[in-house]
Amino acid sequence: MAADLRAIDEAAAQWVQRMALPVQDSATAAAFDRWILDDPRHVDSYARMVQLWQSDGLRQALAANDVPDSAATALGPRGAPHRLWRSAALLVPAMAAAMLLLIVAPPLLRDPVRHGAPPGAMRVVALADGSRVNLAPGARIAVRMTPWSRDVTLERGQAFFDVAHERMRGFAVDGGQARVRVLGTAFDIDRMEGEAVVRVYRGSVSVAAGAGRQWRLSAGSGIALRGGNATTIDGITGSRPDWADGWFDANNTPIRQLIAHLNRGAATPIRLADPMLGELQVTGRFRLSDPEDALAAVAAIHDLNLRRDARGLVLSR
Amino acid sequence: MDDDARDWIAIRRAVVRYAQHRAGRADIAEDIAQEVLTRLMQVAETEQIGSIMALAFRIADNLLVDTYRRERRFDSDLDTEWQSDAPSPDRVLDSRSAVMVFQRCLRSMPPLRREVLVRRRLHQQACRDIAEALSLTPEAVEKHITRGLADLRRAMARAGVAIEDMA
Repeated sequence: MAADLRAIDEAAAQWVQRMALPVQDSATAAAFDRWILDDPRHVDSYARMVQLWQSDGLRQALAANDVPDSAATALGPRGAPHRLWRSAALLVPAMAAAMLLLIVAPPLLRDPVRHGAPPGAMRVVALADGSRVNLAPGARIAVRMTPWSRDVTLERGQAFFDVAHERMRGFAVDGGQARVRVLGTAFDIDRMEGEAVVRVYRGSVSVAAGAGRQWRLSAGSGIALRGGNATTIDGITGSRPDWADGWFDANNTPIRQLIAHLNRGAATPIRLADPMLGELQVTGRFRLSDPEDALAAVAAIHDLNLRRDARGLVLSR
Repeated sequence: MDDDARDWIAIRRAVVRYAQHRAGRADIAEDIAQEVLTRLMQVAETEQIGSIMALAFRIADNLLVDTYRRERRFDSDLDTEWQSDAPSPDRVLDSRSAVMVFQRCLRSMPPLRREVLVRRRLHQQACRDIAEALSLTPEAVEKHITRGLADLRRAMARAGVAIEDMA
């Protein structure tokens, strides 16, 4: 057993030496990977050996033994060049590290895979794990899949996630104000300026809003996060949000939200003559593909004017 | 990723273990491994990697240094004496008692082996140059280094300098 460990230590020491070279041939590289993955004790020994080899303690001990007379064999000239060596020795490990970084660093921070829907059109994306994402017009997500994690960032807009259930691998969506974690479920997340709304259609999710604030939502419920405020939403029905079928479902919803959604798909932008109008509330179903029709209904409810100018549609008092 | 035959789970396990040893604590090893694997997979998508484990360990080393720098910044008010970028097990190896253990072990080695270690580690000479200067074959130089290091390791273990306990 002890002899066994000794052999592992010697092999580890050999690998520390070989892998310190800036370039290895592919056979050596493959042999190293095989050796490391072959036995956990190899990792242990290698880690300790790297530590030992690089330690300043060993360097100090060797320096104390570096006395010209004590050498068993004839050595080259010492003195000035030797001191040069000494200071160079401090630099070499740093240089070796820098070289390795030069070789491998540039692609390290490559972006994850991005999907987006163009303005004015919805898009359905099938992810590698079998999950499906409906992207609202103008929405964009960044997806990072690994064998142990599924991470999505909703960079902007709104998306409906129908997540393939996996027992071991979670699925997380970062929607700015809200971070949603699930195993397998269906939920909608709407990212707006300083605001996020999450609605759950199947299963359950955990929503974190930072600073330790966390909620567990089950199917039929939701939450709206705006600044420090959280408002729960209930009465969510159906298997997916209306917008996925081209509808916006408003329930005492501020007009600004309806307009934000209409603008995602609209060829002609909509604006409010007075920002205060945005706080007026509406209830009802609005067809996203026909902004003018939706706005006409809003104008009728609140007795507002709808007109068209060179820049688009304007809602005013 | 489907055509990738690499065993990422095994690779991850090895990285966690490595990070545990290097950090001397378990709490950050999982996070480090997660980050290492994410970066590895990004690289693997576009690059031919020679040794995936060598790259993994290198990234882990860099992340560990970053982590300690960050933590040191947070702790700087509390603890001004013990400031080092090195992970804690490295500090153990740099301690006075570790240096004593190394010195004792070096003194008990054959002088030729000690000389090889001094030239390789302290003066950073290439194995080939050491072989030439000492009239050895490069294989013999490598043997001296590996045996010497294994001796030093055993000396540390016997002296009970606690690098094993931390893992």
